[in-house]
Amino acid sequence: MTLTTHGLRKAFGGVVAIDGADVEFRPGQVNALIGPNGSGKTTFFNCVTGMIKPDAGTVVYGDRDLTGRAPHVVARAGVGRTFQLCRVFPRMTALENVLAAVRPGGLLLGLRSAHRRSEQERALSWLTRLGIEHLAGAEARTMSWGQQKLLELAGVLMAEPATILLDEPAGGVNPALLDRIGTLVRELNAEGRTFVIVEHNMDLVMSISDHIVVFDRGRPIAAGPPAEIRADERVLGAYLGV
Amino acid sequence: MPNASDATAAGLRAPGKWLPLGAAGLLIVAIAAFPSLAPNPYILSSGVIVLNWAVLATSWNFVGGFTGYISLGHGALAGLGGYATGLLITKAGIPSFVALLVAALLVAALAVPIGFAALRVRGASFVIVSIALVLILLLVFQSWSSVTGGSRGLVVPRPFPGMLRPEHHRVFFFLYGGLLLLALATWWLLDRSRFGLGLKAIREDEDKAESLGTPTFAYKLTVFVVSAAFTALAGGLYALWFGDLDPVFQFSVLTGSYIVLMALLGGVRNLYGPVLGAIVVGVALEYFKVEFGNSPLHLVTTGLLLGLVVMFMPDGVIPSLGGLVQRLRKGEQSSIREMTAADLAEQRKREREGASS
Repeated sequence: MTLTTHGLRKAFGGVVAIDGADVEFRPGQVNALIGPNGSGKTTFFNCVTGMIKPDAGTVVYGDRDLTGRAPHVVARAGVGRTFQLCRVFPRMTALENVLAAVRPGGLLLGLRSAHRRSEQERALSWLTRLGIEHLAGAEARTMSWGQQKLLELAGVLMAEPATILLDEPAGGVNPALLDRIGTLVRELNAEGRTFVIVEHNMDLVMSISDHIVVFDRGRPIAAGPPAEIRADERVLGAYLGV
Repeated sequence: MPNASDATAAGLRAPGKWLPLGAAGLLIVAIAAFPSLAPNPYILSSGVIVLNWAVLATSWNFVGGFTGYISLGHGALAGLGGYATGLLITKAGIPSFVALLVAALLVAALAVPIGFAALRVRGASFVIVSIALVLILLLVFQSWSSVTGGSRGLVVPRPFPGMLRPEHHRVFFFLYGGLLLLALATWWLLDRSRFGLGLKAIREDEDKAESLGTPTFAYKLTVFVVSAAFTALAGGLYALWFGDLDPVFQFSVLTGSYIVLMALLGGVRNLYGPVLGAIVVGVALEYFKVEFGNSPLHLVTTGLLLGLVVMFMPDGVIPSLGGLVQRLRKGEQSSIREMTAADLAEQRKREREGASS
């Protein structure tokens, strides 16, 4: 499903973080959202996922208006996300972290055991897919930053979103892990998931993205395939000041 | 590839059945035996008070333990349960134990708007709102003397009028014991459930839980109502047992503070933590009252205890001891190194070879 925003605006006091953003992220593609620090990328993510309410504008996913809806409603509509500063449940094991994404499905179903075999196997298969199954029993707080990043992604995947928003997936991870994350995104995309990635690592962005949107001062200044973006003078200007 | 059994063994901290059941067995034996072992009615009545604290602390732990929201206002919910029970008996003529159940339902219903307002804020703000609840209700119940009796108090008729005092204590000791077991069973059920896992996710990181699709506000409100119902049952039972209610004691911030201290001392993430805390603090409070009378020494000592717990055992006694046993059994573990794709492939190959040989 297409994720679109129209005239999205968010100000914090006198600072306008997003200034009437009209953006379209295409389904089935790896979309990237790039821009200089402070250009409003994370605020844009937060508005789209309901973490903060926009002052104006709309967020539409497929044919569903998600503007200002609670984050759990957005998640249940099929939009998952990770955070810029990776967030896991620190005193829960890796497996519990992933199982926490299972939807209870009503009060009575919510009283069913969280330890059902089928769900454990599904959670474990995600941990395996991300290469951290050996840490299933470790508390998340004992894991390294990179492992926590993978765990956070495993939790998001457990909820089976059709669209995944990744906020700086390469931030603070080593080159080997960076490769794994890039490969994983391409594999998951090939299976039908749409990605929107905020990222500063241009090598990663250019290698895995199909479509790039460039933000500057809270609004998109360019959009297109990587080759086009790389040659765009407005983008060079925003990034390099030339 | 690992399977779900491996996961249960190593990955998922399934609370298990046998340890909680064994502890429940011990608790049942202790509850059954205590009235016969108590040397005099005073000790028996102290036992009733300690069990009252145990129910209150366990009820509090539905909110505090699962969601991490620290409420100092649970004393007021117990007070509401007590007054509602008393007023239903004296004003509406409802039989004592029917009044107790109706009162718990009424307090649970009242907990919906209270929770709706209070649970919108987090952390210190929630603590302050919970204190405000106590103070507001204290003023209401003191001022509304035509209904509540005001500062003169409310006399609640005994449910068993002809019964002698020691037998009265014995019956209520068992009633409190039954209520405690019911509260513990409910907590245990939630702890194992999907709903409980969602609540624990809220405790760990509410925004993250919300972003994974957990309707955090509905979860918090539901568990707050459950907690309020059990707290009101404890308060109502106290009204029937003690027979006299005074707003100053029923709506006291101190009650909520003691409940929090008990739960923290035993361990809020543990089924039996609040019970252990209630036994330690409850017995200590009774001892201080006997030794030092109405002096503030028991408050000073309780404050010191709270300070020591927060500083040295922030997780409580049971988790600290559990951690110690685990370290002794497993020894120190090395740090968890990140693995490259090659490391991982090698490890999986070894596991496959190990499984096939």
